[in-house]
Amino acid sequence: MICFDNVSFQYTKDQESLKGISLTIGEGDVVLVCGPSGCGKSTLIRCVNGLIPHFYEGNLTGSVTVNGTDVSQTTLRKISRHVGTVFQNPRSQFFNVDTTSELAFGCENFGLDPDEIEQRIDRVVNRHGLAPLMDRSIFRLSGGEKQKIACASIAVEPLDVIILDEPSANLDYQGICELQKMIGAWKEEHKTILIAEHRISYLFPYISRALLMNSGEIVKEYSADEFRALSEDELHGLGLRADHMQDSAEVIPDNGERRDTDEKLILSDMKFSYRGEEPVFDIPRMEIPAGEIVGIVGANGAGKSTFLRCLCGMERSCKATLKAGDEIRKNKKRRQSIYMVMQDVNHQLFTDSVLEEVMISQEKEDKEEALKILESLDLAEYADKHPLALSGGQKQRVAVASAVASGRDIILFDEPTSGLDYYHMMQVSEILKDLRKTGRTVIIVTHDVELIRNACTCVIPFK
Amino acid sequence: MEYRLDRNVHSLLDPRTKLLLLFTSSVFVVGNAGEKWMYVFYWILVYLPVLLLLAEKEWKAAAVAVAIYVGSFYAQMALQHDPTAWESALALMLYIITKILPTVILARYIVKTTKVSEFLAAMNRMHVTDKLTIPISVIFRFFPTVAEESRAINDAMRMRGIEMGAKKATEAVEYRMVPLIASCSIIGEELSAAAMTRGLDVGKKRSCIWKIRFRFPDLIIIVLCLTCFVWWGIGRFFI
Repeated sequence: MICFDNVSFQYTKDQESLKGISLTIGEGDVVLVCGPSGCGKSTLIRCVNGLIPHFYEGNLTGSVTVNGTDVSQTTLRKISRHVGTVFQNPRSQFFNVDTTSELAFGCENFGLDPDEIEQRIDRVVNRHGLAPLMDRSIFRLSGGEKQKIACASIAVEPLDVIILDEPSANLDYQGICELQKMIGAWKEEHKTILIAEHRISYLFPYISRALLMNSGEIVKEYSADEFRALSEDELHGLGLRADHMQDSAEVIPDNGERRDTDEKLILSDMKFSYRGEEPVFDIPRMEIPAGEIVGIVGANGAGKSTFLRCLCGMERSCKATLKAGDEIRKNKKRRQSIYMVMQDVNHQLFTDSVLEEVMISQEKEDKEEALKILESLDLAEYADKHPLALSGGQKQRVAVASAVASGRDIILFDEPTSGLDYYHMMQVSEILKDLRKTGRTVIIVTHDVELIRNACTCVIPFK
Repeated sequence: MEYRLDRNVHSLLDPRTKLLLLFTSSVFVVGNAGEKWMYVFYWILVYLPVLLLLAEKEWKAAAVAVAIYVGSFYAQMALQHDPTAWESALALMLYIITKILPTVILARYIVKTTKVSEFLAAMNRMHVTDKLTIPISVIFRFFPTVAEESRAINDAMRMRGIEMGAKKATEAVEYRMVPLIASCSIIGEELSAAAMTRGLDVGKKRSCIWKIRFRFPDLIIIVLCLTCFVWWGIGRFFI
């Protein structure tokens, strides 16, 4: 049982915070916490798993109790015997390098008997069909596979409370189905589950209630039935995602904008394999409508991200020809005419100011032009800020700004909306549409059904 | 097919043996203790890491390692006849490579073949404090993480046309370090938070699912290492 008694929290650095939260979650309840980005969901969750106040510093008042123990009066280790957390970022939640040890990690830390750990691992692996992921290096797993291991490693431990922080952010339709099964299994075992999430429809069958948060407060509480009855527009109004469980390959884009030309980019002879392995894909010929917003869809692990990397020439070993009108672009030319906005934009922002970031992309540095581009993306006021000090969405816009400045006519996006709430997703969608208006071809790899519906003008399924 | 966890999976050597070998290699190859007196052992220790790579079926890495070693060794010898200032500087550099390379290969082998969990358990059996072993164990994750991040950043630079030899070559180094440090420090923080919510703490007894014990290959290596020290001791104090 989890009990919040008038809890307020303020980070020492000025960030989201909690204001006067009182809340009781009974044993075996499945509670969804939702709300727009920055509403305090993650902070609420950290109060339960003990990272607040034991890891993140700040000013905590009121008390949080889990199974009758005051979280702030005990140690993280003691809390962790009862509470397990699946975090949002699959890259940073593993302490081990091999998957098998990672499943055993929590139990080992409590000194459980190795024979018992073995049995527990066997049970979880067989129940959820994870055998193909065992004895692998976590550095060779895809984001979705990592998230599965993260869930499984929590399932191995004997816990009563399970916390999930936006677990679906990196998952495709198939991955969400499996996550759903895992949550179902936990519910059957009568575990208390607390989930912070924007994409909510997959949780409908299991939730016992839903809490809506905004600027650090619980603004509304819904029973499961009330919550399920909300219409799509109502959900959007609350900043939530309303995508129904749907395979992204079956979505029909509904952007409303039609084009008049019939120009095509023709990609031919693209083949790629990692050294000494089976080919990831082999594309003799692919037609990409020029000047459109093209969604590339397909299951996790089909090689979509790799396809983008090859297309923009990042994978040097991949040769291919791209024909745009009469112009033939071989490997080097392709690299110079295609810009990619990566999933983790932190990797592509190098300089110490936003303005400079845009200017190094320009053929010839032109400050006025650069400022104009920043203006068009609502970034003018941040021109002198350090790019890494901005919020996630702003960083992404800086990357787009430098793409525009580079003058390249094809812009690729790898999962631009993973983990975004409705407002931010729509913002990205507007940016994509604006890019199209300038005559550029935009190609996105995504699982986000709502983004496809709102922004794409056509979809190419990727087998 | 039903999955059964095989807890007997282990690498050729026990983690403790690996550390003893690393220590011995540091003393006699990098440190060059005993010099001519240790001649035979010196060469055994130089080529042993290559044998370990072969045992892991890392054919290519083994071939590259031998090529670099032999190449720098003979180049360095050749440069010592009547060298100019530049040549002697180069010879010195190559000499340092021949001294360090075998131990670096050994260290890489250890990081690649040791499970974090095994390492923690082995250290615990030697009664080494957690305050030391837990921070050291992060190394096993840290190197591949840095490599992964730096590859991603490299790719992004190439895509944006910022490369060595292209425009902004001088800034390229700085451009690489800033995002690398930023992203590694974020990962580091999230990683420690995650590990702590799973009960990792100093001074508490852990168990380990892997069966850690000395096996026959360990015996050979341990005898070799001890002989090195004994032989060195004989040369140092009795002759």
